[in-house]
Amino acid sequence: MYTISLQTIILVAVFAFGYLFFITRKTARQQLDLYDLIMLSTVAIVPGIFVAFPTIAFWLSNIAGVQFPFVVMFGILFVFLFVFVYRLTIKLHILEADNRLLIQEISLLKQTTEQPDGKRMAKRAMNRDAPVGVDD
Amino acid sequence: MSDMRVLLIIPCYNEQGAIASLLKEITACGGYETIVVDDGSRDASYETASRVSPTIRLLRNLGIGGAVQTGIKYAERNGFDFCIQIDGDGQHPPGEIVKLLQAYVETRCAIIIGSRYLHNDTFRSTWARRRGSQTIAWVLNSLFPRCCVTDPTSGMRLMDRKAIELFAQHYPHDFPEPISLAWALKEGFSVGEVAVKMRARTQGNSSIIGFKTVTYMLRVLGYIVLARLTRSDPR
Repeated sequence: MYTISLQTIILVAVFAFGYLFFITRKTARQQLDLYDLIMLSTVAIVPGIFVAFPTIAFWLSNIAGVQFPFVVMFGILFVFLFVFVYRLTIKLHILEADNRLLIQEISLLKQTTEQPDGKRMAKRAMNRDAPVGVDD
Repeated sequence: MSDMRVLLIIPCYNEQGAIASLLKEITACGGYETIVVDDGSRDASYETASRVSPTIRLLRNLGIGGAVQTGIKYAERNGFDFCIQIDGDGQHPPGEIVKLLQAYVETRCAIIIGSRYLHNDTFRSTWARRRGSQTIAWVLNSLFPRCCVTDPTSGMRLMDRKAIELFAQHYPHDFPEPISLAWALKEGFSVGEVAVKMRARTQGNSSIIGFKTVTYMLRVLGYIVLARLTRSDPR
């Protein structure tokens, strides 16, 4: 029979509730979305499960072939963290590309509206592309 | 060919000392329309250039790739048949532009590179820079059988309408010259070269120095290999 000390239970419980309260409040204020809440809450939920059901921790460490249950716990947390970082990296690249595109489009638009030469060139190009017989 | 519209794309970043004389030189060569793309300079490059040429000021610094692609988009939307990229620091003499156009007439390649190393030993570069360029050229030529380039890092190049349309949609943003060649070759575009004379840099310094050289090579070679391994985008 595996036992966990009362101090450990209290410590993990205080951390888990405090942390969950903090990120739930952030989500309610729309500073995080629901996906972020779920992924970030694993930092509290996984240790909570391991403390509440220590048998699972030892069973998993036996299956994984590691001596200490906390290694399994950190392994599980690492998987969640990796998935989270992977998703953030993709999101960041998309935002970066969108940002670049917007800067280019705004700058091109600004040039077309502000510089008479740009207008003239654009008009000439439009006329050139117009069907035969269409007047200026 | 004479009725074709040619646009010179001149990306510049903090080039107030060189841009005015470059534009004056281009005017003296005559016949070319220009677009200067100021990549968020902190000096008076924009003010200097916009007095002489249509100029786009990017709201933030996007790097050379972002600046060149902005110029390519301008060429695409304004119906240009060719665009020629030349650096804003005056390294590329405008008098050499005609060689690129002649090479296009002779070869009809979608992209013509102005090469520093093809039958031309007047350009002096550092040993490391030249070796780096040779390595990239060797990888490109090995992976793409139709490719035979000597100067894939040259910033002086001509693009025809098809290349303009491709690069207006997709253009690499970091170290774009060799990577864009790989992307174009992947799409089945032909790449040619012509020997041009280039001047030594008079203003500013290269951004690829120190440890950045290593990341440059890894990134460029990685993207070239990836381009070879992946299929072309259906367009």
